[in-house]
Amino acid sequence: MKFTIYQESRVGKRRNNQDRLAHCYSREALLMVVADGMGGHLHGEVAAQIAVQYLTEVFQREAKPRLADPFMFLAGGLQSAHQAVQDYAVAKHLPEPESPRTTCVACVVQDSVAYWAHAGDSRLYVLRDGRVLAKTRDHSTVQSMIDDGQLTATEAMQHPLRNRIYSCLGGVQTPQFDFSRKTTLQSGDVIALMSDGVWGPLEDLQITAGLHGRDVMQAVPGLLDEAESMGGPNCDNLSLVAMNWGENYGEEAPQTIETQSLPFDGHSTQMPEFDRRSTPMPELTDEDIENAIDEIRNAIRKNSK
Amino acid sequence: MSPPQANQPLPPDYQLENYRIERQLSMGGFSIVYLAYDEEDTPVAIKEYLPNSLALRKAGDILPVISEEHRSTFRHGMKCFFEEGRALAHLNHPNVVRVLNFFRANETVYMVMQYERGRTLQEHIHKHKGEIKESFIRNVFARLLNGLREVHTHKLLHLDIKPANIYLRIDGNPVLLDFGAARQALENEGQNLRPMYTPGYAAPEQYKAPDQLGPWTDIYAVGASMYACLGGSVPQPAINRLEKDNYQPAARQWAGKYSAQLLETIDWCLDLDYLERPLSVFALQKVLTEQQHAVHESTWIDSLSQRLRGLIKK
Repeated sequence: MKFTIYQESRVGKRRNNQDRLAHCYSREALLMVVADGMGGHLHGEVAAQIAVQYLTEVFQREAKPRLADPFMFLAGGLQSAHQAVQDYAVAKHLPEPESPRTTCVACVVQDSVAYWAHAGDSRLYVLRDGRVLAKTRDHSTVQSMIDDGQLTATEAMQHPLRNRIYSCLGGVQTPQFDFSRKTTLQSGDVIALMSDGVWGPLEDLQITAGLHGRDVMQAVPGLLDEAESMGGPNCDNLSLVAMNWGENYGEEAPQTIETQSLPFDGHSTQMPEFDRRSTPMPELTDEDIENAIDEIRNAIRKNSK
Repeated sequence: MSPPQANQPLPPDYQLENYRIERQLSMGGFSIVYLAYDEEDTPVAIKEYLPNSLALRKAGDILPVISEEHRSTFRHGMKCFFEEGRALAHLNHPNVVRVLNFFRANETVYMVMQYERGRTLQEHIHKHKGEIKESFIRNVFARLLNGLREVHTHKLLHLDIKPANIYLRIDGNPVLLDFGAARQALENEGQNLRPMYTPGYAAPEQYKAPDQLGPWTDIYAVGASMYACLGGSVPQPAINRLEKDNYQPAARQWAGKYSAQLLETIDWCLDLDYLERPLSVFALQKVLTEQQHAVHESTWIDSLSQRLRGLIKK
């Protein structure tokens, strides 16, 4: 696999950075993740950290060097990350209004095909020839209003509810995940994942222009500068990871690259403890199981008459 | 620390006994639910017991790997699954999900349930946040309570009622789902399985006094589910209310938007003291349906007297 990749996260004008981002790759698969945490105190930060760390850990365990099924990986990983954030809230006895939550957008590239999934309003763009080839649809109130024709995209930028989302990891509600189509990449395509601190103050045109035809190592800081200055005195946390794909499908034998995971901004955050019961319990024998099943089947039979 | 492993679902077209797996419908910490078809091509929902932290099905495999260390806990956890199957097998009610079969395969156990088309109340609330009509709430819950009455008649408690576990069929008729937390009431066999509860919907006695569980515990959750219909948000979790009760009474928050009688009924269900709640589903159902006739001819005298009644109650 040939690609160049660069990521950066900035605090903006906020006190803490509740965004997390990461990418890691094996010889044959690449993962990119952005999570934007929400919730009182520092809980949002923890939620984002859990989500990102989960996905990267599962990726490192499963991509050896390929993922059996990238969509299954995303579905299982996001679902487990959601539960991990919930477990953390329960372990810390956090009340619902304060409970940690996070958006999450994650993308896998394998065999020159991109697969992605998201919950919330952190976005993914696929850019080809300076145009938006694909883009995630925010799980936000304003996006629904735009879809219903109640609002234009430009009006949405100023809307008081623009930060309200209806799907995220953590919290009592079951998250909604949207999965992409399989998207075959061509040499020169750019995939960018970002938090709303980046796309919020910018128009899509500025995002495409900022990432088109430039080395991602310069393009990413450049685009962040732009978003940060547009973001003004209240500028949100900004996180952006952008990847420039460097080969066409089946073009050449994959290069050998060691698995590598970049640190998450040097933060270390407490992780939840998972309750794994170790107290010995009376063994349920095969006979117990058969008896229980027989009993249930009999009850079903009796009742269906 | 390593994350709980992500279990792989059974592959599409996999033949599981007499059922053909179509696709995964949902994945939880304890189980995977599939859409499948039986021999007559009738769609069914199949729930597979597969606790994430104890059993791992790798990609391409059918049999999950259960380490020696976890075998006993894995089997013990089956008890919950049996409990659910047992609970449902005894019930035959249009407002309660029906279990059709139960079997053992692939070193674990499966429960086959009727597949319903529609969506959960949770999804409905999301879509219609803040604009759910009083008549909808009364209709859905009055019918749902028919199902819950049946549950309680069989000396069972659901213990995890919430909008995500209430399914609305296409015709609007509600079905109570997911009896994973159900317990045989009045038959405490001292199980030490970790109880499950959903913050906001679980009654205080579920955290603090498991010996005081009763129909009133499910009623608290029904109240919280109705509360969620009003503004789309969950009431403050009971465990926090016990420390510092910041509960915003529905009667105050939504006065004028819904009838005082409905709002007071919701607040009544959500009383921290279970003795102060409606003590049976029947009592609650009566209040919910009673008003329906009165709503049409409600006069200012009615609403005044309701308010007075509310005041006297406090």
